[in-house]
Amino acid sequence: MSDRGPTALLLTFARRGEEEEIRRALASLAGEFAGLRSMAVGTPASAPVLRDLGVEQVVIYGEGRGARETMREAKAHGPEIAAVIYCGPGTKGHLKLEALAVSIPTRHIYRFVPGAPARSIGRPALSISVAGKALLVAGSLAVGATVCAVAFCWLRMAQLVGGGWRARRP
Amino acid sequence: MALAATLIIVNYNGRELLERSVPAALAAARHAGEQAVAVADDGSTDGSIRYLATVHPEVEVMAFPHRGFGHTCNAAVAAAGTEAIVLLNSDVVVSQDFLPPLLDDLAPDVFAVGCKFVNRDGSLTDALGNRTSCQWRRGMLYIHHETDPNLLTETCPQLYANGAGMTFLRERWLALGGFDRLYRPFYWEDVDLGYRAWGRGWRVLYEPKSVVFHEQGRTIQRARTRERIELMSAKNAVLFTWKNLLDPALLRRALSAQAKWAADDVLIGGLPPRTRALLAALRQLPEAARGRVREQRARVRADAEVLAACGAWP
Repeated sequence: MSDRGPTALLLTFARRGEEEEIRRALASLAGEFAGLRSMAVGTPASAPVLRDLGVEQVVIYGEGRGARETMREAKAHGPEIAAVIYCGPGTKGHLKLEALAVSIPTRHIYRFVPGAPARSIGRPALSISVAGKALLVAGSLAVGATVCAVAFCWLRMAQLVGGGWRARRP
Repeated sequence: MALAATLIIVNYNGRELLERSVPAALAAARHAGEQAVAVADDGSTDGSIRYLATVHPEVEVMAFPHRGFGHTCNAAVAAAGTEAIVLLNSDVVVSQDFLPPLLDDLAPDVFAVGCKFVNRDGSLTDALGNRTSCQWRRGMLYIHHETDPNLLTETCPQLYANGAGMTFLRERWLALGGFDRLYRPFYWEDVDLGYRAWGRGWRVLYEPKSVVFHEQGRTIQRARTRERIELMSAKNAVLFTWKNLLDPALLRRALSAQAKWAADDVLIGGLPPRTRALLAALRQLPEAARGRVREQRARVRADAEVLAACGAWP
């Protein structure tokens, strides 16, 4: 009988202060799946942090490697579990990580929220969350673009009325 | 002959912090030749003024109604009677010999000199305000605080002197108009002041021989929630670019980044609330535009020159 267990793909931004939650996720999954192997997608900056926390394999994103190439490599490892690790209270934001979890064909998806027990979530439910958040992104972009367009026009107008932008030499 | 200076400790409900900061300031003032020490009180309600009158009657108390950090600093500097001013937060404990190097650095083309900020245990981990510079990342301007001790050994130019411990000539402060109330209630007013000083052809220096111990953020954290602090800081970061980037190409670049910024709330999460920050900044747009016009009338250096001098030309 093989002692090789399933592979868990940890989806986290691995920012400062998130180490405890990553450790908790690893411990929780290892308790549930015997012989668990772990992997994560990380940037060159977060990779050493992830390795120090015990993640066995880190697929590097960035430094000339695009999202598509990174995804292909992550899928090639055949993870059976995706674990989305949230860094705040609740599951706000984190659309990038949730979209990754939906797009990689794993058998189980777990959500780890600080201060709450790990929760398994079905792919359809997570897909609905992703779709809702994608709409929010579109709304946020519209708000951002409108605010910045108004600001640009107002500021340039004030500047032109005020007499040009070039520095006056002493 | 050394300049006459007033050490002004800015206080808001920091009575217990004053118990450490005032004796240290008094010792430093004596060490530097009987300089004056004052506390500018921003309408404290915790007995700070009573404490000073009882325990340190030699300290001048400038009592103002509660109008915020920037306003209180401006009022205190205007009321002070010396050529040089040292502004200190109430959570800053100065070392005895911190003052002479700061006063020595106030050359004719220098606006301000900043101290070396260390944590209470003497470490530099996460210490803010040392050899400040700015960096462009994804079209946004970010402030860099040096924490490598090997790079904090020489007197050198920096973007701005941290308002928690800065020395300057009063006359120049008044010429710049002091801290801009655009940044109320707090954060970024000192960055703005430093940038404007560079824009007027002056320099801002970092002085590593002037060591002060800083309990970072204690004064603000006592009074505000973390969410509010992050929101105000993000709002003021936006307002800083709107007011100060006079080069239209740079402004366009910053605004493009800010337009996408809002989506990061959902895409990433766990960040300062950027959509709310943009909307809060929008409410102050007319005020930022007025500040922008004031700046362009006074500037002698273009943004490119200011940013290059601070090591951040994109």
